[in-house]
Amino acid sequence: MKYSKFRKFTSLLSISLSFIFISSCGKTEENKILPDGSLDKCTLRFSWWGGDDRHDATLKAIELWNKKYPDIKIEAEYGGWDGWTEKLNTQISGDTAPDIMQINYDWLINLSKDGLGFYDLNNLKDYIDLSGYDNEILSFGMREDKLNAITISMSGRGLFFNKDIYSEIDAEIPESWKDLIYLGNKFKEYEKYPLDLDIQSGASAWYLSVVYVQQMTGKQFITMEGELGFTSDDIKTALDFYKSLEDNHVIRSVKTRAEQDGNSALYQSPKFIDGTIAGVLEWGSAVGKYENVLKNSSLVAGHYLKSSDGNSSGWMIKPSLMYAISDDTKYPDEAGAFLDFLLNDEECAEILGTSRGIPANRNAYNALESSGKLCGISYDSSEYLGKTDPVTLSPYFELSQLKEYYNTAIEKVSYGILTTQEASEELFDNVKKYLERIR
Amino acid sequence: MKNNNKIKKYHNPVGESKYTGLFLVMPFIVGFFLLQIYPFVVSFVLSFTKFSINDTPEFIGFKNFKMLFSDSDFWKAFFVTFKYVIMLVPLKIAVSLLTALMLSTRIKGMGFFRTLYYIPSILGSNIAIVIMWSFLFTSEGLVNQVLDAVGISKIGWYGEETPAMWIIVFLRVWEFGSTMIIFLSAINDIPRELYDSARTDGAGNIKTFFYITLPMLKNAIFLNLILQMITAFQEFNAPFLITGGNPLKGTYTVAMMIYDESFKYYNIGYASALSWVLFVVISLLALLIFKFTKKIRSD
Repeated sequence: MKYSKFRKFTSLLSISLSFIFISSCGKTEENKILPDGSLDKCTLRFSWWGGDDRHDATLKAIELWNKKYPDIKIEAEYGGWDGWTEKLNTQISGDTAPDIMQINYDWLINLSKDGLGFYDLNNLKDYIDLSGYDNEILSFGMREDKLNAITISMSGRGLFFNKDIYSEIDAEIPESWKDLIYLGNKFKEYEKYPLDLDIQSGASAWYLSVVYVQQMTGKQFITMEGELGFTSDDIKTALDFYKSLEDNHVIRSVKTRAEQDGNSALYQSPKFIDGTIAGVLEWGSAVGKYENVLKNSSLVAGHYLKSSDGNSSGWMIKPSLMYAISDDTKYPDEAGAFLDFLLNDEECAEILGTSRGIPANRNAYNALESSGKLCGISYDSSEYLGKTDPVTLSPYFELSQLKEYYNTAIEKVSYGILTTQEASEELFDNVKKYLERIR
Repeated sequence: MKNNNKIKKYHNPVGESKYTGLFLVMPFIVGFFLLQIYPFVVSFVLSFTKFSINDTPEFIGFKNFKMLFSDSDFWKAFFVTFKYVIMLVPLKIAVSLLTALMLSTRIKGMGFFRTLYYIPSILGSNIAIVIMWSFLFTSEGLVNQVLDAVGISKIGWYGEETPAMWIIVFLRVWEFGSTMIIFLSAINDIPRELYDSARTDGAGNIKTFFYITLPMLKNAIFLNLILQMITAFQEFNAPFLITGGNPLKGTYTVAMMIYDESFKYYNIGYASALSWVLFVVISLLALLIFKFTKKIRSD
């Protein structure tokens, strides 16, 4: 009898708790703490992902902040990209997100559909100076009428080559797609590869194939509104292009890459470090980690490849990184002040340099320019991109589920499981259905 | 004369009320409710909803379950998980049993060897070890170098589905310590007289193994089988870190799919449904094993 009562009690308790959980899901504006107009003593958590160059620079910037504002302590939470999205999602869903976060452009779609997923930075205008931004740049962080995030830098994915290996085998840095294909045979003689593309979290293999087709057709793969712009035939052209890169020894096949590197990222691969792989497609804001691992050689920013008739369109640009403040923060004033420091403080800008790409904020840009720190391959790549006619990358393009579809199609084509025709039909259907579901 | 029958009274420093026992087990009860029962019930309720992070769950009935059974990734993940269980469990039990037999011999310094063989079980859960393990199997890794040195052609471990699965299986087999300890204690419980009389009757090592050791270990084998099967069905860390589920999703387990659906694709309702299907499958298999081994165990 007693046991049965206990069982009833536990069942009722569990069910009530689950309903409490469900009713507490979702975000409302009432839960948010409003700014109180003063900076109090507190500890804030700040998280970011990146390579060692970004970690070192950011930790130094935090040191500077701690000297200037000893009462507001910053706790750094940082790591590599792999698994970062999942980690942050877990924190956000458990209401334990850091106060200030580095986020990705596409996360706003899922994490803040109605603008309530992050703190509305419009409420912190007393602390955050937005005068260094164009309205267009600010608009990337808007959800509904709320400013959820601020763009750190605008960046494109560009090609970077190991100039020492290129000189060693007397190869020219490619300027067109034709040059790139030609390099495959040349590098084959030396058992090296001029470039590498992956089907990991970055999905760079599909990205380059899309650029190629966008340049050929003038279409955008996915529009800013989340419409699929490619036809099934366009997707087939992209997959054919990818296959031609493998067949012409421009890149390693998916299988060879897996056998040689396992599940490691390219910048951790012995094949990249020893120069067997002499090129990479990477965001200008993240290329530092590739530079850091090369001890006996160095990278140079490559050209944005064009067609034989000189057409260089189709390359893409996006707000490569953004800062947001958690909607659960207990210290909005202090978080706003720290965010302003990261974005506008001249000394901080000099310390951070181009570790997050070329700053989109004019104040930080000017500080770097006047101190002569606007240099390096990230800057060169950004300058080259400015000379093409880049399109803004759709925030839908990089959604995790879509990347999974791209990578699966590339992998099946590479392994010969599907023809490019079959894979393109499958990919077209998957992308179309998914976009319809989430728009 | 001194009264030796006097009952000695012990003082309980925490108190002697009828609630003392409850108070002492409270940390476990609270943890059990918050970390086991609560998520268990919530995930069941969520499996009937469409729910993403920062959203309010929307009740959709059995739609998640219907979608699951028409999802080719779901079937592939289940196939991969079954394949993994079949590759791992018998091998791990065999290796653990053989090692336990070896370590049950009474020679000097055996304690040292027992400790030595248990070390991988402690190290295996260390992320750094798992990552180091992954480097052993790359095309230029240590394993291929050894194979090359003994004249066996190199294997593209990561390039094909089954060899990639072996990388994970070998890691888990290497961590045989806990399974071995169960066998070792069961072997030590077998009465020595049985072996003595069998040897007097002329039985050799093989006969004593099959007619004495193995039958006497049936409960230990059963326990290890159940424990290892349940653990293997929930495998996540090793494929996540070593192969990332590749190639061609050939090492993509159900637990990885649950993780991706929750934290990568934000389909928490769908992931909850998937968790419950996995729970039911594991429970049914455990029941089947219980049922089919009942006669053997009771003999």
